Amino acid sequence: MKYITTVNGREYTIDILDESHLSVDGVVYELDFERVGNQPVYSLVLDGHSFEAHVYTDEEQWQVLLRGDMYRAVVEDERERRLRSQLEGAPAERGVFNLKAPMPGLVIAIPVGEGQPVEKGDVLLILESMKMQNELRSPHAGKISRVRVAPGERVEQKQTLLSVV
Amino acid sequence: MFNKVLIANRGEIAVRIERACRELGLQTVAVYSDVDRSAMHVRYADEAYCLGPAPSRDSYLRGDKIIAIAKQCKAGAIHPGYGFLAERADFAQAVLDNGLEFVGPRPSSISAMGDKMKARATVSQAGVPVVPGTEGEGALRDDDLLAIADKIGFPLLIKATAGGGGKGMREVRSLEEMPPLMAAARREAEASFGDGNIYLEKLLEGARHIEFQILADKHGNVIHLGDRECSIQRRHQKILEESPSIFIDKDEEFRQRMGAVAVRAAQAVGYLNAGTIEFLVEKDKNYYFLEMNTRLQVEHPVTEWVTGIDIVKEQIRIARGRQLRFSQEDIHQRGWAIECRICAEDPYNNFLPSTGRITHMLLPTGPGIRVDTGVYVGFEVTPYYDSLISKLVVWGETRGEAILRMRRALEEYKIIGVRTNIPFHQRLMDSHRFMGGQVDTRFVEDRFTLDISEEEQPPHPHVAAVAATLVAHRQTQRAAHVIQRAERDTSNWKWLGRWERLRR
Repeated sequence: MKYITTVNGREYTIDILDESHLSVDGVVYELDFERVGNQPVYSLVLDGHSFEAHVYTDEEQWQVLLRGDMYRAVVEDERERRLRSQLEGAPAERGVFNLKAPMPGLVIAIPVGEGQPVEKGDVLLILESMKMQNELRSPHAGKISRVRVAPGERVEQKQTLLSVV
Repeated sequence: MFNKVLIANRGEIAVRIERACRELGLQTVAVYSDVDRSAMHVRYADEAYCLGPAPSRDSYLRGDKIIAIAKQCKAGAIHPGYGFLAERADFAQAVLDNGLEFVGPRPSSISAMGDKMKARATVSQAGVPVVPGTEGEGALRDDDLLAIADKIGFPLLIKATAGGGGKGMREVRSLEEMPPLMAAARREAEASFGDGNIYLEKLLEGARHIEFQILADKHGNVIHLGDRECSIQRRHQKILEESPSIFIDKDEEFRQRMGAVAVRAAQAVGYLNAGTIEFLVEKDKNYYFLEMNTRLQVEHPVTEWVTGIDIVKEQIRIARGRQLRFSQEDIHQRGWAIECRICAEDPYNNFLPSTGRITHMLLPTGPGIRVDTGVYVGFEVTPYYDSLISKLVVWGETRGEAILRMRRALEEYKIIGVRTNIPFHQRLMDSHRFMGGQVDTRFVEDRFTLDISEEEQPPHPHVAAVAATLVAHRQTQRAAHVIQRAERDTSNWKWLGRWERLRR
């Protein structure tokens, strides 16, 4: 099975040949891959070189923590790749950003109001958790569309707080 | 003299104090909130009593309940640890009024040093240099502060009068940006200390944060245990500490000069027990009193390691009325110790706190390593308390050896279930500026990044690509397998039977 994997902006074509072999950009490696103790920790022996990686996922990408460095990877198989290349070029949908609480906490202040235009990096909401006040910022420019919480409110992790369109 | 100590704290520091009590043969009493029922400090103690619901104000800040519990279980002393009630003069006073021993300074010293403006006035009278800023005492209104700001000059710092730990602190670069920052500082100070008063201090650029550990007994002996370098900070929170400071290093004359000033500052408030005098030190070796922490510090282990003195045990001995067993001449710092604060926060996502259950953990061990922690596999990191989950401390004969050892220890340390700042520390250990000791309090924010530049990519992107691809591949296969099974219109057992018949 063939995958196109992008890490830190560089593409790798990875072909899984059998249980113990794969090729990276045509170079064949002998491989032993084990998950450790049912955790998101993987031991990888690649041509005799031993690595241990923590592999996490969020909606779009994989985060690989390896020897103290974080790598961000997007993995696509050939079919997904074709689909995406067809979609590109079509007018991209304007991104809606739903600000979700990264952790449970207490809403301290919301310095923006509905309908207000914001720039990338503007503070949208101040959330207190673990005795720290954390400023949650906008990832892109847009307009505040729906404010779903109010200062003084306790929120759960991943609860949607407001949206930027 | 007491034989049972109540520890009015939680987490790693409660466990640390319980350990000292154990070694001294004293009974320990833990207190806990609902969410901490199975916390390490509860499991480790001889006795444990519940304080109430999770929020600090309903549990670890309930001084009245804590004192009542101490009296009921006949504990003779209360150790407050750091944070929570540690620097509350009214609590220390209430402990004494109830006939219990407070393992810490006198209430009068706590209040003298707790009000930062009063502290500045007191120590400068004793001839200790202070950072230029708002003079005198008392609450100041915003327009007063704006008028003073121009005289002090920019950049400057807004600080909470009742402050500590970087809360209610804001940097100001110009007069225009000052009003909203004052409002934010007052809001945070009010929330953290119940006191919205603020004052101003000149921001010394390029300065280091160096502090001296103090021990004082009830017989009038005051000594210092040498210096600690705490310049590695983020948002005014210390992240890494060392003893000694690379800036002082072999300049013993300078060390003793600063140490003597620290002792004088402590004597100015009639200090008792363990405390810390913090200084800001400029490149030309000018130094200024910053504040005194009237409690045990988070970073006390680095001093313990280089001096060989168990500070928590000394605290208890002092509280029991013993005389210090050593004088200033007996104190020497041997080798080099470094501490990394391991926090449940995501360094790749703006250091936002991370909560969750710890599902897997491997602690670093071997020569020269100490881990002070209050968590274990299965423990839930909650949003109610600070994010410190452990302190990783190493010792080396030289600073170089300590750094290499820390690098190894960080590599061994695995915590799964919450995100931690371990990768941040790993990058720090690789930083040439850090290795060279060229740091000041702005180092992390101004000259250090986890982002990778175009030129220096990390060394194993293809390995990361392989790992991500294999995990993704397994996931797809598992998903496909589940669908295939559902596609069969008959039960798996029937299907297996047919398949086996076919194979015959």
